[in-house]
Amino acid sequence: MRQVLKNILSLEDRPRSEKIGFIIFIVIILVFPWVVEGSYARAVMIKFLLFALFGLGWNLIGGYGGQVDLGQAKNVGFGAYATALMMVWWKVPFWLTLLPGMAFATAESFAVAYPMFRLRGHYFAIATLCVALVWKELFVFWDWTGGARGVEIPIRPTPDFAYMQFGSPIYYHYFIFLLFIAQLLFMNWFRKSKLGYQLQAIRDNEEAAASLGINVTNTKVITYCITAALGAMGGSFMAAYYLYIDPDFVMPLDLSILIAMTVMVGGAGSMWGPILGAAILIPLDMYLGAWLGGQKRLGIDYMIYALIMMFIAAREPKGIWGVFERMRRRR
Amino acid sequence: MLKVNNIQVHYGRIPALHGVTFEVKERELVSIVGANGAGKSTTLKTIVGALSPVSGNIEFNGLDITGRHSPEIVRLGITYVPEARHIFGPLTVEENLLLGAFILQSKEEVEEGLEFVYRLFPRLEERKKQQGGTLSGGEQQMLAIGRGLMSNPKLLMLDEPSLGLMPKLVDEMLGAVAKLKDSGKTILLVEQNVREALELSDRGYVLQTGRTIHQGTGKELLNAEVIKKAFLGL
Repeated sequence: MRQVLKNILSLEDRPRSEKIGFIIFIVIILVFPWVVEGSYARAVMIKFLLFALFGLGWNLIGGYGGQVDLGQAKNVGFGAYATALMMVWWKVPFWLTLLPGMAFATAESFAVAYPMFRLRGHYFAIATLCVALVWKELFVFWDWTGGARGVEIPIRPTPDFAYMQFGSPIYYHYFIFLLFIAQLLFMNWFRKSKLGYQLQAIRDNEEAAASLGINVTNTKVITYCITAALGAMGGSFMAAYYLYIDPDFVMPLDLSILIAMTVMVGGAGSMWGPILGAAILIPLDMYLGAWLGGQKRLGIDYMIYALIMMFIAAREPKGIWGVFERMRRRR
Repeated sequence: MLKVNNIQVHYGRIPALHGVTFEVKERELVSIVGANGAGKSTTLKTIVGALSPVSGNIEFNGLDITGRHSPEIVRLGITYVPEARHIFGPLTVEENLLLGAFILQSKEEVEEGLEFVYRLFPRLEERKKQQGGTLSGGEQQMLAIGRGLMSNPKLLMLDEPSLGLMPKLVDEMLGAVAKLKDSGKTILLVEQNVREALELSDRGYVLQTGRTIHQGTGKELLNAEVIKKAFLGL
């Protein structure tokens, strides 16, 4: 037990500069809502933490596992709908809706994973994308999910902790921060766990991994399910925070791609990469959107994304974190 | 210990092995030699379960393992050190080794394994914190063999351990194989350095276009006409 705890908290294999950087980062996040007054900036911060959370989860299968999954939005959607629908139908407190959402996402992923992992590389990516799109269309089509109109969570007359409705966005900030830290600690344990090493072995060389007796398919499937559960957790928060969800908001292809992109830009398969990626892409997205106003839909933001994507693919496959690592090694 | 009985293997519809038969006994070093494309690697891959034969069967310690999955076969005690090493580049040397031991249950066994490997290849201990990908070719090969030894296999299958190494390292590598044999390991070796391999081996088999065409003790094969003509250039 103490060993596990030590593995979760320990960063001893990381260089000192990283530990210092991490502490500075934590301090910035902690004091942020007290220093910055603007509500837009606070919203950007919460969205950044949310996407850092998504990125950390996706980094399991996409980074450490090397399997490009372009369907994470379906899991976000499952979490968001589980929370929203349960709160609207049965007035279930938010906290009790977290687990059912994660459980559903895990079960669904388990069901589709075995056929999907018969595919490799691009074909796997396309399969994940298709499954996510099918789910999105189903949620638009069904009546009981609110269809294309979506679901609105009624606002309580007074702030209510059980339903995650607070008077001030500061509370949301700290709540998502807590989720983020919890997931970060989980990742810190995971990367040094047996499953984590097996997964990295599979990413580096499937044949060699199999020759050591690693069950390649099972390892991938388990990771895929964990990734799904983590995505659903973020989705639940999204529903409670935005108070309104529809399939176009919580399940679109854009979301899947943005999640994958934050990780790839930051550095897939590294501890800090997803956080770095979210720190760059989310403010860029939000401020670009504000700046371009109604013209955002013209697609200028997509062009900028595409340029970043091409640059990363061509020059820096290990993302921005890869650049840091290289600089450090040179010194 | 291992009996391979007339196995036939196809890649899709293309036949690769037409009928390979051989046997490895306890504490033996057995070599399989043959030209490129004769089916040596295919044979090893079939034994470890990466490919499954369309006919014939494979027996290990009296157990029929034909067509079983790799994880199961590895747990039964067969490890395969693939050609071209295939080490995990971003992971450290020690992490690579530990991955070879993940089927073991107790910490002591893992420690013993590490000790054994470091005694066989002291170079690996010096570099244990280094990333696998930064090692030289010879060191990577040591790492690949060491990783295969970590699970303390009953049968170690080495696929071209000297591939792409400079002559001095080839001797070192085959020396390590000889040391392993002396320590009581059972080894199935596929080698392109036919002469050296056969000199080390108790017995050998010759493969040609997917068939075992010849067998004998290492010495017999070294003097056999087929081998002389085909491989030794005499």
